Amino acid sequence: MFDLDRIISLLRQGRHIAEETVYTLCLLSQELLMNESNVTHVNTPVTICGDIHGQLHDLLTLFEKSGGIEKSRYIFLGDFVDRGFYSLESFLLLLCYKLRYPDRITLIRGNHETRQITKVYGFYDEIMRKYGNSNVWRYCCEVFDYLSLGAIVNQSVFCVHGGLSPDVMTIDEIRSVDRKQEVPHEGAMCDLLWSDPDDVDTWSLSPRGAGFLFGGQQVQEFLSRNGVDLIARAHQLVMEGYKEMFDNGLVTVWSAPNYCYRCGNVAAVLRIDDDLSRSYTIFEAVQPQNDVGNTILPTRKPQMDYFL
Amino acid sequence: MERVVQQTDYDALSCRISAIYKGYLPSPCYQLAKCGYMGYKEIHMDYINGLKHVSRRIHGKVTRTLQSSYPVMNYGTYLRTVSIDLELNGILSKIGKDQRVQILDLGGGSDLRMVPLLRNYPNLKFVDVDYSESTKVKSKALWETQGLREFLKLQEPQGDQLVRSDRYELISCDLNDLNQTSVKLDKVTDADVPTIIITECVLCYMTQDASQKLIEYLINHYKSGHWVSYDPIGGSSENDRFGTIMQANLRDSRNLEMPTLMIFNSKEKYANRFAPLQTSIQDMWELFNKIPQDEIKRLKSLQFLDELEELKVMQTHYVFCKSQWGNV
Repeated sequence: MFDLDRIISLLRQGRHIAEETVYTLCLLSQELLMNESNVTHVNTPVTICGDIHGQLHDLLTLFEKSGGIEKSRYIFLGDFVDRGFYSLESFLLLLCYKLRYPDRITLIRGNHETRQITKVYGFYDEIMRKYGNSNVWRYCCEVFDYLSLGAIVNQSVFCVHGGLSPDVMTIDEIRSVDRKQEVPHEGAMCDLLWSDPDDVDTWSLSPRGAGFLFGGQQVQEFLSRNGVDLIARAHQLVMEGYKEMFDNGLVTVWSAPNYCYRCGNVAAVLRIDDDLSRSYTIFEAVQPQNDVGNTILPTRKPQMDYFL
Repeated sequence: MERVVQQTDYDALSCRISAIYKGYLPSPCYQLAKCGYMGYKEIHMDYINGLKHVSRRIHGKVTRTLQSSYPVMNYGTYLRTVSIDLELNGILSKIGKDQRVQILDLGGGSDLRMVPLLRNYPNLKFVDVDYSESTKVKSKALWETQGLREFLKLQEPQGDQLVRSDRYELISCDLNDLNQTSVKLDKVTDADVPTIIITECVLCYMTQDASQKLIEYLINHYKSGHWVSYDPIGGSSENDRFGTIMQANLRDSRNLEMPTLMIFNSKEKYANRFAPLQTSIQDMWELFNKIPQDEIKRLKSLQFLDELEELKVMQTHYVFCKSQWGNV
């Protein structure tokens, strides 16, 4: 039978999950996510988390260092998959938590939660390696299409994966976007997932080739127009784990320590308390040789990730 | 250790083949327009076919990741390859086509630069130096490749010999053994002829002592020359852990050591290896930012590069260094 707690326990150990089980999980998740609005309301206290990128063992550390799903509320800002070796387990674990504790976890879509990007950056290959066919990848991609585009904490903190869009000035306008689709190459939905803050005077072309660069003025206008104090976003590697910009009106939170197993950065999560105060928790990558319990460790090291 | 280091050649070749397969190389504005590299893709594809006849195992290793190569790796391969090619062609064209000149490609393994360079510079002699395991494979693969065999005018090797021609030599030796290296190089090079030395990811595998002795010997032995080098650096700022993680990853995954990664961990310290020569050094991120917009646009159209941060972290930890001595 479908036993959520057992699946969670298997996932935490990085164990194989049967294709049928993944199918059921994805179906249940879609039904749950379908009813969420594009921008979900979340109450304090809450812990906001940035990119995970398939680093399952670091995701487990994240929960350990920040109270755990049994006791705390979480918002994940997207980019659950690609790059790391455990994209599937990381994503499914978050889905299981969502099913098990629906009001304690909010999942926002990142620019990697798309068919096109996962084909290049590892998730598709991981599924082919683990299952020998692409079914599980397709089930997951269908869930991606239902993920929220943002969240708002106590009418005060706007959460999004990438950043702002010149096409949507208010949070209400974001609510009217039709989100249940593959991420388009342009337009509001694309920008929310792809844009970056930068030292620019106005909306500028992004070097990524999707989304925009936006500056302090665009941030201040968005904050005052929508009556919020802070934009919390992820999307960019920050070596120190987080970075506040524009008079603390925007913060980048990054939660994948030692990104791609080689960048040497630390990770952070941001806790917003009832009085709206911010506190950051910094954490480091799991040491591969530090064999705690019976978790399996990233043994399959990449062969080609340096220039030799 | 020798085998572990020798095997890194297949990684470099594999990266180059991926970059060619995806269209990063050859670069029209650099390698074609400025270096005049004709038939770049064909040369490599022919060689890979030749390699298949020599060893299916090596061929498989080199072509395995062709389909799924990451953009960040292709960008890095593009940067190192194009930077060295541009520098070599700049030096050679300054010396002029009428002058005798020699290139020593130290530890270059499967590098095929000698083909376009020998074609374009009629008074150039090209010497490939590497471990015997590497040169044996290369010798056989070149012989198996009709186009390259004929173009290089290779003489049929007898017994254990390697292919050679009047203008191309393959030398088997261990660069850590300076006596052996100097004796073997003396037989095929002329100390009075302007000399270009290439070390592309080679010095990083040597000990400080062996690499410094090699540099010192060569820049004193050859009357005039240029040294072109590409290597990783560990990073020198307080919170920079790239180098120590790289050492640990390479040790764990393939028992590969980079003894000087944290010794010559900054651009300044790396450049100082070539003191007192006139030396300039840049990291690959600086070079990336000098690429003209049209070429960036072309690169972007090949594969979608999702982020620049990771590229920056990696490329600030690789350097391109050029030194010059004597009257060239």
